[in-house]
Amino acid sequence: MAVFQAALINEVEKLYKKKKVLVAVLLSLAVIVIGQIGIIGVRSGFGLRGTGSLEFPMLVLSVVVNTVLPLFTALVTIDSFSGEFSQNTMRITLTRPVSRFKIYMAKITAIILFILGALLLLLIFSMMAGFIFNTNSATLDSLGRTVFSYLVSLFPMLVLALGIVLLANIFKSGIAVFFVSILIFLAMKVLGLIFSQYSSLLLTTQLDWYNLFLVNSFPLAKIVRQFFIMLGSAIMLFTAGFYIFDKKEF
Amino acid sequence: MEKSMEKVIEIKNLTKSYGNGRGINDINLDIYQGDIFGFLGPNGAGKTTAMKIMTGLIRPDHGDVRIFGYSVTEEFEKAMKQVGCLIEIAESYHYLSAFDNLKQLARYYPEVDHKRIEEVLELTGLIKFKNEKPKKFSLGMKQRLGLAAAVLSRPKVVILDEPLNGLDVEGMIDIRKLIQHLAENEQTTFFISSHLIHDVELTCNRIGVIYNGKILNVESTHNILKNYATLENYFVSEVERNGRVPSSAD
Repeated sequence: MAVFQAALINEVEKLYKKKKVLVAVLLSLAVIVIGQIGIIGVRSGFGLRGTGSLEFPMLVLSVVVNTVLPLFTALVTIDSFSGEFSQNTMRITLTRPVSRFKIYMAKITAIILFILGALLLLLIFSMMAGFIFNTNSATLDSLGRTVFSYLVSLFPMLVLALGIVLLANIFKSGIAVFFVSILIFLAMKVLGLIFSQYSSLLLTTQLDWYNLFLVNSFPLAKIVRQFFIMLGSAIMLFTAGFYIFDKKEF
Repeated sequence: MEKSMEKVIEIKNLTKSYGNGRGINDINLDIYQGDIFGFLGPNGAGKTTAMKIMTGLIRPDHGDVRIFGYSVTEEFEKAMKQVGCLIEIAESYHYLSAFDNLKQLARYYPEVDHKRIEEVLELTGLIKFKNEKPKKFSLGMKQRLGLAAAVLSRPKVVILDEPLNGLDVEGMIDIRKLIQHLAENEQTTFFISSHLIHDVELTCNRIGVIYNGKILNVESTHNILKNYATLENYFVSEVERNGRVPSSAD
């Protein structure tokens, strides 16, 4: 455990010492600012209500889970794997008394922590913006639901990250991984539209699964089904990625 | 004499072939405590391949390497606990300072503290640059940082692949002194590969010649120099005896 801990601290340190994380934070904040300005514009220009204080964080979430968050997840994941493969810095860790499984786990845990951090940051700032600029309609129940929606969004993001980890272990170049990830992402979006009855199987649909928790009737069966589809995908992607990573020659 | 000493590294039937026909073939070697073992051979003879297998960067087709009795393919963490290494070019994270680079590695060894990091930086003449990022380092400085990383944990075995790459004369002398100092005062065992015959002659007390992926002979430097004027003469005669004359030793 001590070895894993050391590997994890190292991965987290590498993440935050790079400028990319700072850029991710700034862009996340930009999304909130732009969103808020847009809403104020709509409200004052057209006289529409826009959003309430807790509707704004949900609006932000619905936008980011399909745009900036997958993008940052891809960038951080590619950097953590492809980046280290191509710069040969992977060797620094691999020749230390730490198994490849622990390194792989540490990298993925660091990515999860990054996504969780980004979600929490977005939640806090969008809530602050919501409370400052919008009409107050908050209840304890809706606050709980908002926080919960952000937290459950971590799960599909994890599946996405594991998918990109697998690609990063298959393709040599980080750019190739990035483009293939985007192509697969877009293909899934299109497939979800064409075969809408099967869309719940696709990751791109699962990104919005937090909506299931907001429905008043609480569709438990559907939530459990979605959860297991994601769990299954996560296990398969994790295993396939590790299989290749473990066999890789450096 | 050596046979009574503790066997530190045991290489058995090590075979690894690449698609281009290169690689190593059935290598057997025993390294004993206190050896400064020189692994001598021309470029492409298979030195790096053998050393990458020894440090877990690639897997062998057949055979195994045991360090202090632990197999590197099966008990990697235990095998590497007492090992420090530098394989090919010394890699470092260019966005971390020299000190932080070593701090990353120190986390895997509970006994390595900040004082020890400063100590190895002093030992390799990098203390002035401890807060600078290796991005701006010359090749020689990067190599020194790699050596600092290799000896950081006071390992009992140090595996160095072409440690003098990119070093100037002063650097070469420094490193040779460092190796001899550690071997004498801390009984560190060294496994050093090089194509620089003269340097191997000055640094190492046992020499193994590798040619075309095969070990031709292993002999103590003392015995070699009793029968041959220089190590170069010995190397050429060994290679000739095995049917191939290289145009140049390096």
